[in-house]
Amino acid sequence: MKALFTLLFIISLSFANDATIEVIKKVESLPSLAVEESSTSYDDTFKLKFFKSFIADLNVISIFNVDRHYRKIDYDANDVVVENKDMKYVLRYQVFEDDSGYFNARMKLIKESQEVMNKNYRIKKKDFYMFISHAMAYDINEFMGEPSVEWMKRKVIFSRVVAPKKSELVIADYTLSYQFVVVSGGFNVFPKWANKAQNKFYYTSFDGDKPTLKKVDIKTGKTKSIISSDGMMICSDVSDDGNKLLLTMAPKGQPDIYLYDVKSKKRSRVTKYGGIDVNGQFIDDKNIVFISNRLGYPNVFSKELASNDVEQMVYYGKSNAACTAHNEYIVYKARESSNAFSKNTFNLHLISTKTDFIRRLTASGVNEFPRFSKDGNAILFIKNYKAQSSIGIIRLNHNKNYLFPLKYGKVQSMDW
Amino acid sequence: MKSILLSSVVTALLVFSGCSDKSPKVDDTSSVSSSATTTQEVEAVKTETVASDSGMISSGSESISDLESKLTSIYFAFDKFNISSQMKNNVSADAAIIKANASSYSLKLEGNCDEWGSDEYNFALGLKRADAVKKALVAEGADSSKITMVSYGESNPTCTAKTRDCWSKNRRVDFKLLP
Repeated sequence: MKALFTLLFIISLSFANDATIEVIKKVESLPSLAVEESSTSYDDTFKLKFFKSFIADLNVISIFNVDRHYRKIDYDANDVVVENKDMKYVLRYQVFEDDSGYFNARMKLIKESQEVMNKNYRIKKKDFYMFISHAMAYDINEFMGEPSVEWMKRKVIFSRVVAPKKSELVIADYTLSYQFVVVSGGFNVFPKWANKAQNKFYYTSFDGDKPTLKKVDIKTGKTKSIISSDGMMICSDVSDDGNKLLLTMAPKGQPDIYLYDVKSKKRSRVTKYGGIDVNGQFIDDKNIVFISNRLGYPNVFSKELASNDVEQMVYYGKSNAACTAHNEYIVYKARESSNAFSKNTFNLHLISTKTDFIRRLTASGVNEFPRFSKDGNAILFIKNYKAQSSIGIIRLNHNKNYLFPLKYGKVQSMDW
Repeated sequence: MKSILLSSVVTALLVFSGCSDKSPKVDDTSSVSSSATTTQEVEAVKTETVASDSGMISSGSESISDLESKLTSIYFAFDKFNISSQMKNNVSADAAIIKANASSYSLKLEGNCDEWGSDEYNFALGLKRADAVKKALVAEGADSSKITMVSYGESNPTCTAKTRDCWSKNRRVDFKLLP
């Protein structure tokens, strides 16, 4: 009996940290949070816009059951709005313009009539309000002692196809509320951040004779050509230190994965199969996962960089054409239908290389281009559904997906 | 193009240095001061138009665009890059035109896919289609040193309706002649 209990205990421990097991946290079990607004400047339209952005951010941190009612009150009022009396937490904020024309925000978190936290923010232009909203949600999450949502402050870079063979590269916040077109004109795709600081990025340009990998230094504004290849040239992944790249190239019409050393500019061929090998992703310094059609259909494989042995990683799905990896976890895109003549559904699935569990992460539409956050707790992806392109965020530990639609064009690829 | 790109990048730098990297703090004026003059959206850059066909001098022989219009695109089945038996005749006809009239030009094979997937695999599929056509042309006697390939994945559709006819039109290899 004792042994049985010990066994059960060990099993429960081993599952406790497995992200492939769905954690169903009922919304009702999360503490309630109401938001009260006390703004003095700006028109009602803008005030409501800020409120919506802030509510979205508070939802994404997934630690509160957020009340979406827009209620106003004086910032210094002693009591909360009467409707919010029963709320576990009340967050009161105010946005206002100061004498220098700067955009300001201040907030306080109230728990059981006591102010438990407050913070002020200031930025030059109100157009950047969404960054204040993200920062406020980030700080509340930190205050509550939850695992960091550092990715909330990261920038997303994506390519938007606006016409056949015409695209633009856009830098945005994670909700796509703020967008800045950084490269326009021509056909440029597959942008990829070159370092953790996100001040350099790679992208594939089709403007010359051959597809060319270019690197942009945002600080200096300089663009330089890194390497070209006939047929195909994509930067699939950048190592954590930024010194190594996994490229897909096809110098002789044969798409294969290459390892490129940024400092020495030397490249070495990693895969040699005569079909399609693409989408190399570092697991660590020595191992990669990638997509290959060596079984006659696209699927996820892994290999040691230094060895020729290849291992199949996924045994479910008819066509698994994209993947991302973080430690022992792999997220891949699988075609859910085999119909060549009607609409297809592509969903994202999570597996662990240490267990046999598969967790489906999306439900409908075409879900693709999964990208793990640096900490592995969130996945960014592209969703195309009913002619609408969105960027989605999956909060693995909270079992929640959030979608942020693109106003026009179609997201071709992205990185964050 | 280059200068526009450069200014876009610098502007992006200014904008983002002011707002997104760090959580904005009280009186953090130094980091945001420079963004005031740079928040305007940059003008849309005019795309380059490559003079591939217009203005070509046709001195007796056929112009590039005339020749190109005679070459028929090769179409492929869903998720496939082998040339079907129906398409083999088209490849032979194309090869004959290329050998007879276009031997002085370089040939660019552009591989394309339908809309099901925007990932690298789709680009690779487009390339393998171009490669299959190249091998078939070379087998028919075309000069392989004059053939280059590129894949546009799903980003160069000729048809955008959500129908199976339309998707099949996008799974193709196009021919472009270069002087």
